[in-house]
Amino acid sequence: MTIWQHLFSIEERRNWWMRKMPPSPLRDYYEVPFPDVESDWRQVDYLALDYETTGLDEHKDEILSIGYTTINGSCMRLADATHMLTRPRCVIPGESAVVHGIMDDVASSAETLEEVLPHLLRALAGKAMLAHYATIEYHFLSNACKRIYGFPFVGRVVDTLALEVRVFRSQEKPIQQGDLRLANTRNRYGLPRYRAHNALIDAIAAGELFLAQVANRQEKRTILKDLAVVS
Amino acid sequence: MEVELLEIRDFLASHHPFDQLSKESLNSSLGDIEIRYLRRGTDIDSDDGLLDSLYLIRTGAVELHNNYDELLARLAEGDMFGYRASHREEYENIRGVVIEDTLVYQFPADTVDALCDKHPQLDYFLAPVGGERLREAITHVGDEGDAQLSMMTAHISDLIKRPPVIMPPTATIRETAVMMSEERVSSILITQGEKLQGIVTDRDLRNRVVAKGLDYDLPITEIMSTNTCTADISDYAFEAQLQMARQNIHHLPVVDGDKVAGMLTATDLTKHHTTSAVYMVGDIYKQNNIESLQEISAKTPDLLVNLAAADVTADSAGHVITSVVDALTCRLIQLAQEKLGEPPVPFAWLAAGSQARSEQTAKSDQDNCLLLDDSYDEKKHGEYFQQLARFVCDGLNACGYFYCPGDMMAITEKWRQPLRVWRQYFSKWIEQPEPKALMLTCVFFDLRCVCGDRNLFRSLRKHLQEKCRGNRIFLAHMAGNAMSHRPPLGFFRNFVLIHGGEHDHTFDLKHTGIVPIVDLARIYTLAAGINAVNTQDRLKAAAEGGEVTEEGARDLQDTLEFVSFLRIEHQARQIRAGKEADNFMSPEDLSNFERNHLKDAFSVVRTMQNVLSQRYKI
Repeated sequence: MTIWQHLFSIEERRNWWMRKMPPSPLRDYYEVPFPDVESDWRQVDYLALDYETTGLDEHKDEILSIGYTTINGSCMRLADATHMLTRPRCVIPGESAVVHGIMDDVASSAETLEEVLPHLLRALAGKAMLAHYATIEYHFLSNACKRIYGFPFVGRVVDTLALEVRVFRSQEKPIQQGDLRLANTRNRYGLPRYRAHNALIDAIAAGELFLAQVANRQEKRTILKDLAVVS
Repeated sequence: MEVELLEIRDFLASHHPFDQLSKESLNSSLGDIEIRYLRRGTDIDSDDGLLDSLYLIRTGAVELHNNYDELLARLAEGDMFGYRASHREEYENIRGVVIEDTLVYQFPADTVDALCDKHPQLDYFLAPVGGERLREAITHVGDEGDAQLSMMTAHISDLIKRPPVIMPPTATIRETAVMMSEERVSSILITQGEKLQGIVTDRDLRNRVVAKGLDYDLPITEIMSTNTCTADISDYAFEAQLQMARQNIHHLPVVDGDKVAGMLTATDLTKHHTTSAVYMVGDIYKQNNIESLQEISAKTPDLLVNLAAADVTADSAGHVITSVVDALTCRLIQLAQEKLGEPPVPFAWLAAGSQARSEQTAKSDQDNCLLLDDSYDEKKHGEYFQQLARFVCDGLNACGYFYCPGDMMAITEKWRQPLRVWRQYFSKWIEQPEPKALMLTCVFFDLRCVCGDRNLFRSLRKHLQEKCRGNRIFLAHMAGNAMSHRPPLGFFRNFVLIHGGEHDHTFDLKHTGIVPIVDLARIYTLAAGINAVNTQDRLKAAAEGGEVTEEGARDLQDTLEFVSFLRIEHQARQIRAGKEADNFMSPEDLSNFERNHLKDAFSVVRTMQNVLSQRYKI
């Protein structure tokens, strides 16, 4: 957290960096305005996103794969579903390979993050990023942008985990361990259990959860500000 | 597509009709999917785009209602609605109500059209007419062994390929023999004009001429067999085969009314196929007591299992199974006559219900009656026929064809009457129809003479047909009764959804699948004065006579075949598992394919029932 984040809105930072930044995929991303926080949630486009990483530390660990698809209002489109492997700069730790199933030989034939990132930034332009526990996606992306383009990433973010915490709070229910896991949360909304673990199916899983959470809101009107964690 | 979408592809691949698509086609169609979440209580009508997309339910449940708020369907995981899927029942103002939180995969209309263009399997499944699909389903299930046993439903006319080889009675033995060798036949018919006089076979030439040193110039009439039995050209080939087994003969002259039409040989028949049923029937005629008949009829369940394994059509299987009870009946009558003596007056033993229609399966009660000549005098002859009926019905009961719970049997005095009384019965039923009485006597509107004087039966049938034909009031009553067996709306998860939204745990194949079609066919037959009794034959004849549209009849024929086939397989499974065969199937036992085609079957029957009720303004 830098002081700038407290002093300026992300819209102001977008404008500032756009003027300062040399041409790059990140600058192209900033050229497109962020979705308006006052918009009805159905007017907003979202990018449901998930990574597989070698660990949880954005400074030490690396992104191994990226999966995403778009949601236009209340409809998720598989036409845009994308899954990309990235080549890490280090050897994949054994314990993480157990979770994501990505082995060294597969990863070594993948493209580098520098090659993959422009695709993701193009997909994110003009959309709100959507993920379950979005902190990971947001910070890994921002860290990668700083390393590759010299500037951090900012954008609108909707976090299905944060939305679920609000549901628990509004119902004054205590949160038990595991309650907020993606699979358990989905289960409460009657969503199917996906056996596989990969970035794309988890991104879709988060997207479906988001649609279920919004459909279950009691409020008459929901705007993006009601859903977003970073705005 | 991304291989990472396996979860979604696997779901599609496990649901009909997507299970018909190749992996590649499935992969390429994944990109067309849009995913939506519909909260419980959400209404989707045509304004919300209900008919603009095809919806496949991933989880949750949705009900469809028409604009009279009638429940049309309750759908769950794997079911579809919306564009094309809802046209299936030609619903106009259809409305969807989400009854459980639901995740749907949605295909926009233009995508659906494109997919259908590319994949005929989808196009076929999403076509509005269910009958077409059923036809396909039947070829799907029955194509293997069908050809082998097609003779079960083939008529003799289908098997006779050449005009008969004939000689006049004035010919000599030598001339006849020359003709036989020129024509390369092993038997020849002796005819006067078109009338059959007798038959001569190779064996006759050997035994009666050569062995006895007879003069070859004697007239052929010296050695021909005269009291030969014959088959009618419209009989089933299978019946002819049974007749030959019964009489132990290898040549059967075929007549068309009074005229000679051809010769049927054992070779003509064995070219097709012989089943264990033929041996069973042959065996039945060799038995002299109830105990040994019981032993043979105990093999009927095995026969059904074999038929199911041979993949014969349900219609053929019905004929085969029925031939066993026919033979039992005839043999019991013969045995009764050996005990009681020759009958004092002519009679006809009539089978009713499913036996009459040749549609029996593993589980059948007996329905029959006795039609006596008008010279019958109760005081003088009553005792004889009472004992005959008792002997036969008891025998059938002992052989597993249990007494009819409604007493529709020849042992009931009311159903053992001379022709004049039977005529009165039918006059009364037809002229003063009462719904409840008709429900009970309905079984007598399917009659077939199994044994005895066929002319007696023909007189009764003629009377019945004259009374029925065009009698709208009576037909309307029959149609009203036919509406009492409605097919279910469909399935909901592992339940059967019936009218009004109730659930049943099992699906009654007989009463909700087969009986409604049998009822419809009976009404067409009565309205048009058709002789046919077998439901398939009735439907065919009704279409030819214009009583029902060609398409309607074909849809019903295929629907009947499909549901009956399911029943035979179900019963065969039960028998193999050592259980007693019944008509109840659990939706859990149905494959996706069967479920979907059953829905088509229900919709065909519903459509035809609606047509009928409109015609008779019920």
